[in-house]
Amino acid sequence: MSQSPAPAVVFSGVTVTINGVAILDDVHACVPVGGSTAIVGPNGAGKTTLLLALLGQMDFRGRITVAAGADGATPRIGYVPQRLAFDRGLPLTVLDFMVMGTQRLPLWFGHRAREAGRARELLAAVRADNLAQHPLGALSGGELQRVLLALALQQKPELLVLDEPAAGVDFQGEHLFCELLEGLRREHRFTQLMVSHDLAMVTHHATHVICLNRRVAAEGIPGEVLTDATLAATFGLHMGRVDPTAMPVATTSREGGPDA
Amino acid sequence: MPETLSSLIPLLLPFDAMQAPFMQQALLGLLLLAPLTAAMGVQVVNFRMAFFSDAISHSVFAGVALGLLFALNPQWTTAAFGVVVGLAIMALQRRSSLASDTVIGVFFSAVMAFGLAVVSRERNVARELMRFLYGDILTIDTTSLRWLALLFVVLLLFQFYSYNRLLYIGLNPLLAHAHRIEVARYQYLFAGLLALVVIFAVWAVGVLLVTALLIVPAATARNLARSAGAMFWWALLVSLSSAIVGLLISAQEWARTATGATIILVAFAWFVASTLITLARGRS
Repeated sequence: MSQSPAPAVVFSGVTVTINGVAILDDVHACVPVGGSTAIVGPNGAGKTTLLLALLGQMDFRGRITVAAGADGATPRIGYVPQRLAFDRGLPLTVLDFMVMGTQRLPLWFGHRAREAGRARELLAAVRADNLAQHPLGALSGGELQRVLLALALQQKPELLVLDEPAAGVDFQGEHLFCELLEGLRREHRFTQLMVSHDLAMVTHHATHVICLNRRVAAEGIPGEVLTDATLAATFGLHMGRVDPTAMPVATTSREGGPDA
Repeated sequence: MPETLSSLIPLLLPFDAMQAPFMQQALLGLLLLAPLTAAMGVQVVNFRMAFFSDAISHSVFAGVALGLLFALNPQWTTAAFGVVVGLAIMALQRRSSLASDTVIGVFFSAVMAFGLAVVSRERNVARELMRFLYGDILTIDTTSLRWLALLFVVLLLFQFYSYNRLLYIGLNPLLAHAHRIEVARYQYLFAGLLALVVIFAVWAVGVLLVTALLIVPAATARNLARSAGAMFWWALLVSLSSAIVGLLISAQEWARTATGATIILVAFAWFVASTLITLARGRS
């Protein structure tokens, strides 16, 4: 279905069964290189499970092929979890957090200038440079999401995997985060794969969409795939796309009419 | 080497109590042990492994029982058995869908039951086991000190190499794994070394107090520190000062208390002070 010649990720026949319950059932899908792919689906559709299988954290049947990196090496993956489950009381600054994966010298001796400098650059790229000395546990949802994005970028990822990046972030923060991601994707040329349940966001920001509800209901370009029929198949009845051109006449009135 | 170090102690700590050779040996043992438990304790708190160290410390009974069964030196059997139990718990935790405290609870009861089963057959060893409940740093011998010094060096190298990565894993293992950190390797290494430290600490302060020696300095450090580096130094300071002050107090005429217990009480005083400071900070 996809026109891209070499997909970044191919899921073929991925099946996950937990205690006899099929969480994913024969999932076939692909993630085009360099694009922004969104996995959409209702709660319990197995979206996060599919990501965990991709990250090697979930046993599955079938095959997941990740294209080799530019130099033929194992592809580097950056991962931004949904809501980082961590101990908020831990004494750890954002800079500690950024440096702990790259610096060997124990943090007892502080940060090396080189590592700290790189960390600050990454934080600046996600507009979080002012947070470097803040305790990690004191960040707001949106701030933490951006710091996690910086940590994922530290991997110089070929594939950036995001699980509901906008969960727990307000509408404005979500919009900013998506704009930021688009800019970074153009600059660093990674393939982006994210899970979302926000169809408005997907319509605006995704170049490829996979509709998942234990199986793949449809896959392709958002404008073609997100039809009422596939959305009904994915989410169940009464779930339609919000299409501005299909709005009632009230859209032309400045006050806006009651939207039933 | 321990002998030459011991001879320096009366010069550095000119107390009457420190003139006795066994006190010098004890202090040397504590100076080696306290940094070990402090450094490992930071991660035990971050990994929430307090119950894990409890299970290991209680495995000494089974370790001694094994020594009796096969007529082996109990120091060796307790250490070996502790490491085996530690690695087994870690392996099952990583694979099983059971909650980690459930896995540890199962092992905990099994090793205790095994120890009791053997001991109940041979009643004369019951008294021998009592010494493990309270431990006795004052009877530490030169051979134990040498082994402790070796463990100290190994642990220092391990901490130097792994502190930052362990912090990453402690924060969120899934994130660490996705970002190409060999989570399993670090976890097994940590579990094995922690088991060794716990067993050594049991000989010094006893089963009942070993978890305290790991947890209390680290918990105090958490209260006081604001960065990952500071937490390590605070834990070290609390642990070392508690060990030295506790040993000195326990040897005073007016106190004459068990050394291990006294050390923990001094550390607890640190903890209370740090909690009060945290509360005061929160209010201002």
